[in-house]
Amino acid sequence: MDVSQYLDIFIDETREHLQNLNTQILALEQDAENMDTVNEIFRAAHSLKGMAGTMGYKRMQTLTHDMENVFSEVRNGAIKVNADMIDILFQCLDALEEYLAAIQENADEGTNDNEHLIKALNVILETKGGAVAAKEEPKEEVKEDKPAAGGGLKEKWRDIKIGDVERHVIEEAAKENIHAYGISVYVQETCILKAARAFLVFKALEELGDVIVSVPSAQDIEDERFENDFSIIFLTEHSLEKVIGAIKYVSEIEDAIGEEIKLEAAEPAKTTAVAKKADTKVAVKDDKPAAPAKSGEKKAVGKAMASRTVRVDIEKLDVLMNLVSELIISKNSLVSVAANEVGSSNLAFNEQIEYLESVTTNLHESVMKVRMVPIESVVSKFPRMIRDLSKKLDKKMELYMTGEETELDRTVVDEIGDPLMHLLRNSADHGLESAEVRKARGKSEVGSIFLNAYQDGNNVVIEVGDDGNGIDVEAVKNKAIERGTITPEQAETMADKDIIDLLFLPSFSTAKQVSDVSGRGVGLDVVKSKIEALSGEIETRTKLGEGSTFIVRLPLTLAIIQALMVVVGGEKYAISLGSVQTIEGISPSEVKTVQGKEVIHLRGKVIPLVRLDQVLDVESTRNPEDEMTVLIAKKGDRLAGLVVDDLLGQMEIVIKSMGKYIGKCKLISGATILGDGEVALILDANALI
Amino acid sequence: MDEIALVKETTQYIKIKMGDEMYGIDIKYIDNIVRMQHITRVPKVPTYIKGVINLRGEVIPVFSLRLKMGMEEVEETKKFRIIIIKLDGSYVGLIVDEVREVITLQNDLTEKVYRDPSDPTQNFLLGVGKDGDNLISLLDLNEVVAERN
Repeated sequence: MDVSQYLDIFIDETREHLQNLNTQILALEQDAENMDTVNEIFRAAHSLKGMAGTMGYKRMQTLTHDMENVFSEVRNGAIKVNADMIDILFQCLDALEEYLAAIQENADEGTNDNEHLIKALNVILETKGGAVAAKEEPKEEVKEDKPAAGGGLKEKWRDIKIGDVERHVIEEAAKENIHAYGISVYVQETCILKAARAFLVFKALEELGDVIVSVPSAQDIEDERFENDFSIIFLTEHSLEKVIGAIKYVSEIEDAIGEEIKLEAAEPAKTTAVAKKADTKVAVKDDKPAAPAKSGEKKAVGKAMASRTVRVDIEKLDVLMNLVSELIISKNSLVSVAANEVGSSNLAFNEQIEYLESVTTNLHESVMKVRMVPIESVVSKFPRMIRDLSKKLDKKMELYMTGEETELDRTVVDEIGDPLMHLLRNSADHGLESAEVRKARGKSEVGSIFLNAYQDGNNVVIEVGDDGNGIDVEAVKNKAIERGTITPEQAETMADKDIIDLLFLPSFSTAKQVSDVSGRGVGLDVVKSKIEALSGEIETRTKLGEGSTFIVRLPLTLAIIQALMVVVGGEKYAISLGSVQTIEGISPSEVKTVQGKEVIHLRGKVIPLVRLDQVLDVESTRNPEDEMTVLIAKKGDRLAGLVVDDLLGQMEIVIKSMGKYIGKCKLISGATILGDGEVALILDANALI
Repeated sequence: MDEIALVKETTQYIKIKMGDEMYGIDIKYIDNIVRMQHITRVPKVPTYIKGVINLRGEVIPVFSLRLKMGMEEVEETKKFRIIIIKLDGSYVGLIVDEVREVITLQNDLTEKVYRDPSDPTQNFLLGVGKDGDNLISLLDLNEVVAERN
């Protein structure tokens, strides 16, 4: 069978399951008695096994199978969770991730059997699996479970009308000792590729016997024209249990129920049977018929609430985003045409334009929202990483995370994982002191590493820090001099901040020892360039002896922003509205000079002035005696006053790249096309502050 | 014999005029030729980058071929054009003095040139071709767009 079309889904789902397993096993390490966790782990391992089996990844299947066995025993209370076991389980997850990586690369799981892990799992099973007494009871529990689950589902196969032809076939088959079973299969409601799952069910069945009738028809099932269930009549020489087992082996199959068809009982009896079934069910459930009862059942099983989601290829969203961009550009041209028409008495036209504007703004926001995903998907792997680092570095540390629900554009989230990971490793390795040093310094032996994410205006801020040693500015300085990065004379005049910035230069590492955690010197500069590639920024705050924090600031959106259009020296520029706090009229006499720099006093604050005409190498068209228009721009807690010649107003702009043949210009973050077709540059206010 | 002559490999060039000399640009790189239009200046970039223009909704940088090749800037005439070339998937516009016609040159008749490093205009040459009785310098576009001051 060709399963390649399901490969992407398989990879996605496997990744989710692995992530889930990581989280749950971590939780298990904290609270070994929590049965919900164990059940969740068991379920995830089971799904993984099924999926790997379906896709034909035998090694992956074997490994998950053995893991599942262990969890099964844990669930039964036969094995107690201990630290060694957790370690082995984590190793198994790593091995699974390797398989997954190989599969993603070349659709093949590779040849590593990971025998040592399988052996280790079996040792766990053998050495601790002796407690037979404990086994007995939970097994019953499982048995109880099943009929209950079955009872909630309707045996729809009984509604299948058995025609003369089928009746004949069944009779003939019976003579050859081939059984006829009526089976109803229920696909999980959350399943996205129902048709694919159904296909896998049919595929599995074909190996055991023949499907003679299916409701809905095979064609309808293939086209996904069915609800969450389908029923079949199936001829096979195998036992019913084996058939049901084969069906349930397919992942995302909620349940399969069936019974042997006895033709002697004939039609009349059959219909009454159905009626009876229905009756009892109503009696039991007492409130609603089959379908709602089924969903109720699901919750009882403890499954997370079925969210109504659709997986969409990010490329399709990109196309959508581009179309919205084009729409906004053409809307802007309409607006500028309307503004230039002198006979602007056409009220209705203007009203429609305004309406169009609000529609495009909403449309843009909706598309943006669709593209936003919580950073949880990347940060949720960090607790595991810190745990491993803690063992590896033999330092005690704890990771505290907040704001995992903060949302960012999907493309940014995909890229931000590595830099964050690097910063965390950096904190764990360089930042935190060893337990002895910490004790001597009167700190808690367990170091804390934190990751806080939150939204700040048009930016998302992610802070990664620790309560460790902080950056030793002197050490950095000496190292820089030693390496010839700066001269001793330069070092004298450099501010601490500038020295810390040296850490972000390529090949600069202060770690005294090279470890395989960090310290190869390929660190912070890569982090920085990655973040800058995402139009973000990184800032460092540190206090020797108290710890350091890296503050990563990322734009919320990469494509369309609300901007303030300004004029400087006759040229139009756009400035992101998000970075502008207020607009002030300042008389030239209010400008003071402090240390050779122009500043203004505004509501008790001293704000440095940036004259854009000078920065942009143009000549201001304003009379220097006139009142100045100053935009108060904000970056973190720093402010700056940007002096412009004139304001044109607010506008929704589409950010366009200027192509690779125009070298990096720090001040300009991109360009946009105005309503009249002219190009305006987007000023990066952050670079000016 | 005629047949052999026909299958000889040829390349088509757009002939442009810069100052008094003729240059050729391989036609396969050319996306479009547009008239001069408003160019938005970009601050803090080398002088040969005149700015950016809007071409069918894309923002494209525009270089002055004169400044890039070390020739002096002259006043814009009506014959000035922007040749839009596409290299490695990215667009860039080149301002030229005048665009003439398309010519076809036989590859075996174009000669490689020795690049004299002291003459900046020669850095951009791929070779010299014969266009009838005249010589035509063939431009190496990769060198033309490369960042260099």
